[in-house]
Amino acid sequence: MKTVGFRSVVLYILLAVFLGGLGYLVVNLFFHGRQWAMQPYNGHLSAQMGDIKDRNGNVLATSQDGERFYSDDETVRRALLHTIGDTAGYIGTGVQSVMGDKLTGYNLITGLNRTPFTSLSSKLELTVDQAACAAAYNAMAGRSGAAILYDYETGDILCKVSAPTFDPAFVPEDIETNDAYKGAYVDNTLSSSFTPGSIFKVVTAAAAMDLWPDSWSTRTYECWGSEEIGGSNITCLHGESHGNQDMFAALGNSCNIYFAKLAGDMGGEALQRKAEEMGFNVNLDFHGVTVAKSSLDLSAANANELGWAAVGQYTVLTNPYHMMVLMGAVAKGGTYTQPRLTERGDFFSGVGTPGRLMGPETAQQLKSLLRSDVENYYGDWMFPQGMNVCAKTGTGEVGEGKAPNCWMVGFCDSAQYPYAFAVVVEEGEGGIETAGSLVSAMLQALA
Amino acid sequence: MDMLTDFIQSGVLPTALLLVRAFVPVLALYVVWRSYTSFKKGQRRRDPVVMLCDEASGIRFPVLYWENSIGRSKSCDICLPDATVSRDHAVLMRREEGWVVCDTGSQSGTAVNGRGIEGQKLLSIGDTVTMGDVTLTLRNADSPPEKRRRVFKGFSHEAASPVKLMVAASLVLLLMALQGCLVDGAFVPTQAVPTLLVMVMGWGLYIYSIGIQHRVSFEIETIAYLLSGIGITVLAAFDIDGVKTQLAAMAIGVLLFCFMIWFMNDLDRVAKFRVYIGAGAILLFALNMVIGTEQHGAKNWIQLGPLSIQPSELIKIAFVFVGTSTLDRLQTKKNITEFLLFTGICMGFLVLMHDLGTAVIFFACFLIIAFMRSGSVRTIVLILSGAAIGVLLILQFLPYIADRFAGWGHVWEHINDNLGFQQTRVLTYMASGGLFGMGLGDGYLAGSGVFAADSDLVFGLLCEEQGLALALVVVLAIALFIFYARSDVTRSRSTFFSIGACAVAGMLLFQTCLNVFGATDVLPLTGVTLPFISSGGSSMMSVWGLMAFLKASDERTYAARRASKGSARTAARPASRTGEFPPPRPRGEAQDTGYTPRRQGSGGRRYSPPAGRHSRPARPQPPPPRQRDDMEDINSWK
Repeated sequence: MKTVGFRSVVLYILLAVFLGGLGYLVVNLFFHGRQWAMQPYNGHLSAQMGDIKDRNGNVLATSQDGERFYSDDETVRRALLHTIGDTAGYIGTGVQSVMGDKLTGYNLITGLNRTPFTSLSSKLELTVDQAACAAAYNAMAGRSGAAILYDYETGDILCKVSAPTFDPAFVPEDIETNDAYKGAYVDNTLSSSFTPGSIFKVVTAAAAMDLWPDSWSTRTYECWGSEEIGGSNITCLHGESHGNQDMFAALGNSCNIYFAKLAGDMGGEALQRKAEEMGFNVNLDFHGVTVAKSSLDLSAANANELGWAAVGQYTVLTNPYHMMVLMGAVAKGGTYTQPRLTERGDFFSGVGTPGRLMGPETAQQLKSLLRSDVENYYGDWMFPQGMNVCAKTGTGEVGEGKAPNCWMVGFCDSAQYPYAFAVVVEEGEGGIETAGSLVSAMLQALA
Repeated sequence: MDMLTDFIQSGVLPTALLLVRAFVPVLALYVVWRSYTSFKKGQRRRDPVVMLCDEASGIRFPVLYWENSIGRSKSCDICLPDATVSRDHAVLMRREEGWVVCDTGSQSGTAVNGRGIEGQKLLSIGDTVTMGDVTLTLRNADSPPEKRRRVFKGFSHEAASPVKLMVAASLVLLLMALQGCLVDGAFVPTQAVPTLLVMVMGWGLYIYSIGIQHRVSFEIETIAYLLSGIGITVLAAFDIDGVKTQLAAMAIGVLLFCFMIWFMNDLDRVAKFRVYIGAGAILLFALNMVIGTEQHGAKNWIQLGPLSIQPSELIKIAFVFVGTSTLDRLQTKKNITEFLLFTGICMGFLVLMHDLGTAVIFFACFLIIAFMRSGSVRTIVLILSGAAIGVLLILQFLPYIADRFAGWGHVWEHINDNLGFQQTRVLTYMASGGLFGMGLGDGYLAGSGVFAADSDLVFGLLCEEQGLALALVVVLAIALFIFYARSDVTRSRSTFFSIGACAVAGMLLFQTCLNVFGATDVLPLTGVTLPFISSGGSSMMSVWGLMAFLKASDERTYAARRASKGSARTAARPASRTGEFPPPRPRGEAQDTGYTPRRQGSGGRRYSPPAGRHSRPARPQPPPPRQRDDMEDINSWK
């Protein structure tokens, strides 16, 4: 029996496998339990979540008897859908998904149980202003797009709207099949990139400032509305000829030929380098949410394509969140404040590492360019008084017979209204008409 | 009553229930741990009862086990380093009637009192056994018990009384049943009925075992009772009607348990029936193939009127019966061809029935038995490579099986298709439950109708509703069966029980691994039950039946019964001077009462085996003969 007794040690192999597997499971649970629990299909979640309010104390979402309720105002519900998230959890970048564990009071010990401790801590106050969001949503007039605005001093995001959207209180039944809701689960401010058009000229200008720090402002090119560069024509909008201009005039006129020639002179490499310094081809991180990157790849571009890239066509893409922080950087001397959605020390809050996107001289020079744009070309009358807006519009041609992406990016050079913004509306009429009025509506609501 | 309603509807209830759920695993852990330590405490000390003396050389061989191999080989329990002795010469066994010796195919044969033997021969104290040139005399042991040293003695030096552990286990179940009654803020006392019925069965078994059979230990039954109760209470909260089957199965299982313990008392009876059990198992499989019905892709059900049975679950018991063996047979028939053939047939049927999870369990059990019988790593490697080829062939011809495992390790990429749907739900709800669970009946795994939530995924259900802590206690209790089996392995009455208990403990733990790790994506999902917890009547019956092997492996199970019978005869018997444990009295002991161990002369050589662990210097003065009744021996365990 001695031998049989000895051989029974083989059972310890099994035991070791068992303990190993169990240890693996428990360790995994420890590290990933949060993600595992925060799944959209988890029925425990919606019933447990605490209240979400905006910066003025308006209730944006609350739970009652195991059900999730949103703002009483339908426009607010639609405008803030992507910021807050839907009940089913399909919008992965919303606060209810990203901060689900805080809202539910989740922890590894009590799980999703509602205890006296968790109900105290599961409330959330966002930095958004529901009126500004509603105004932005209304100004989009049913078009797709994104509008995002933040306080470049504190980082508070005041307005963040994405469309297409839907009413989370009455989720449309045909949401999966109706083309009108295509992309409704995507937050365009964070997770999409669009053809920028002329707003990219800001980057091209910055590259020129870097390359010719002393002569960039005196450099002039002639524009006759259309010119062959690298075997194909580069044209200005509506074939308008702008004559001989310096950079201030060219940016104000949004002259394509000026910037195409400028890029041709400085070469693709300089433009690429400057763009990457300014945050292109980089995945920015918004407190755990990976932001879609703005992209520029000139490695295979010929002279003509370089010319088009310099004015934000070719394969260039920009992301609204990135454009907003870029404007925030211009406003703040080259370094932007990390945006946040909550004031207290949570995931969406906090002072992250400030991002340096350019030097202070470049920021100062860009600021004067952008200010001149509004002052001399768009007109201050568009915006509330005293906001001192600096901005650039853009119309990104997307082809396929579609109307262009209409952009406006900029900021208010004002201590009272330290706002940086980026808006884009798909298939709009024009930069100033569509995007400009959207910015105007946002700023009105915040004035 | 109004106060009760008020309390239930007040906001305090959820927190109060959470505290109850936090307390339950602590109490359950106490029961599980104390059952094991009490089991260990109650075991006999490892002292020899008789010894074999080589009168020629004066060497003494203590006889430590119920079955002892004798031979030249160093692996023998009694090693005789003499060229005339065969490697595995004979086996000395303690049986109901006394000590018996039997030759295990030796070259020179074995003789008792000078006369050659065939088959088993009963020995009396003073008889001589001749093997080759060596002649040994059977003597009573003379050395007094020596204190055993153990590093860790548990948290208490005393064994807990069985009734105390049963009360604690019942309290666990009552606290769980209380939660069941308070689901959804209403008081529904009927929810407690299944749990109460489990308690009736558990205490019924207790009264039968301790009160009628006078057994001294009840630890294994306590654990089985606790786990069954936890399982049934959780299932009752999910489906109060469906739990009837589970209760009936448990009742049958308990009866099966009692029957099997009786059946295995007589090893001759077991040997006689073994062929029939094996043939019956194969017949049952064949019957299953012919009249079986298919459910969820596996044709492993037999429909009997309103009852549906999974024969493969019951065949697990038969499998262990066929596989395990007494030491004399092990030494005589060294190959495992017969058992290998039987395993091959069983596996073949299971593969044909598409019941792969069970096939893997059978195979694991086979490996354990094969290794414990042969001890040959080479055989195991051969078998494993054979199995690997088999698996490759199966995958070649049945490629859809491989598809079932395609989601393994990537379940989060398959949240909404059948490759990962079940596993992701288990992980999500398991994490939701935290350590103490969301509350009985408040789970979404069962509530949202995930397929097999109460069987294959029951670990997730348990975690979600009662918390990870209790789920870990449950699987720990199953894992501890390994230690129960291990600590009995050289103490049991025969290698038949040792191997059987180890096979069962290993099989249950392996099954637990497949269930728990399959549901949580540590392993591919195979769809086997979690012993005691999963919904499934056949499984419940079978697991209680398997418990009988663990119980039978504990020598006290049968000793007590004999003692109660024997106590009536004690008066007629002269004083015994055996150790603490009452063995079957060697026949003819009476005539040997005058025997006093020979004092070791100064010139006497003491036997010292190479390992040096069996020899123990004989004290000059043996303890004075004491009048001792068998019941006293029993009491000394308590």
